[in-house]
Amino acid sequence: MSLTEPPPPATGPELAGEDAAERLRDRISADSLTTRRDYLRIVATVSGGLAIGGVGVASGILHRHGDSESLPRTKKVADRLAPGESVAFRFPGDEDRALAVRLSDGALVGYSAVCTHLACAVLWREDRGADGELYCPCHEGVFDARTGGGTAGPPPRPLPRIFLTEETDGSVWAVATARSGESAREALCRQFGEDRPDMARRLGCPGADRATESRRT
Amino acid sequence: MSDGALPPRPDYQPGSAQPRLNRPVRERYPQIRPTSGYGDPRIRHTGPGPGAGSEQEPERSAKLNARLALALTVVIGQLWALTVTVNEWMEGNTGTAWWAAGFLILSFLVVLGLWLLDPKDR
Repeated sequence: MSLTEPPPPATGPELAGEDAAERLRDRISADSLTTRRDYLRIVATVSGGLAIGGVGVASGILHRHGDSESLPRTKKVADRLAPGESVAFRFPGDEDRALAVRLSDGALVGYSAVCTHLACAVLWREDRGADGELYCPCHEGVFDARTGGGTAGPPPRPLPRIFLTEETDGSVWAVATARSGESAREALCRQFGEDRPDMARRLGCPGADRATESRRT
Repeated sequence: MSDGALPPRPDYQPGSAQPRLNRPVRERYPQIRPTSGYGDPRIRHTGPGPGAGSEQEPERSAKLNARLALALTVVIGQLWALTVTVNEWMEGNTGTAWWAAGFLILSFLVVLGLWLLDPKDR
């Protein structure tokens, strides 16, 4: 109903239903069916959802891929790994995909194979780059094979590292993990600190001497 | 032009002083069909809805626009804070993640305040 159109006069109580129908029709035909205040309510709801999500993340609702709080059990990865080869395995848990790579110069590196962008599988591509690259095909994410840092694409964080050792017989073992962007010393001290105080002391971890002394007494 | 040359003002009445302009929209614009411009067949009347142009305090509309713009800006900041929270948590910096979560909660309280302010504004 426009402003210049006068409302039809009600002639009796029997027209009450028609009035209601007319009012409903007017409401439907109004310019904005969703008011700005409705939008404000929707925005407030979204904002509340984001706040709840943030609290959930901070309290640990998300799984940290390739991470363990304590020292994980050592795991044999391969009997032998030739230069340019890679092997996929699970470490530290059965759900944590990981990747060990022998670079062309003989260096041995290990990373979580879960992309830090949207958790797709990361692949070793020897044919890409100078040293080869760790490549996520989902969104063209690329990680440096030596450091695990992101070099291209959307991944926001480096790949969590896995520490590998090689025995004299050539077998490769996974021994510990580091979180995304965590330094090797910090990661090893965090995991060896309580379970292997001798190793922590050799690494020069803070508080390692005190822990050893208290065990002796 | 001097004031003496102007015709006398008509008495004030809602709408136009010319009766032909105060006819219903349907009579003034017979080309407009009941559902012109709308895909929704329930809509019978086109053009300005009831209440259009009858804003008592137009400045309140600007305030509501500003509140909506502020709330949207805060939500964009919250999206940024959530990415920070996830990144810090994944890197093991739990303390920083909690600070970011606190920022998210404060931002929500700001948006809530903007929503609760002047609840009659539409």
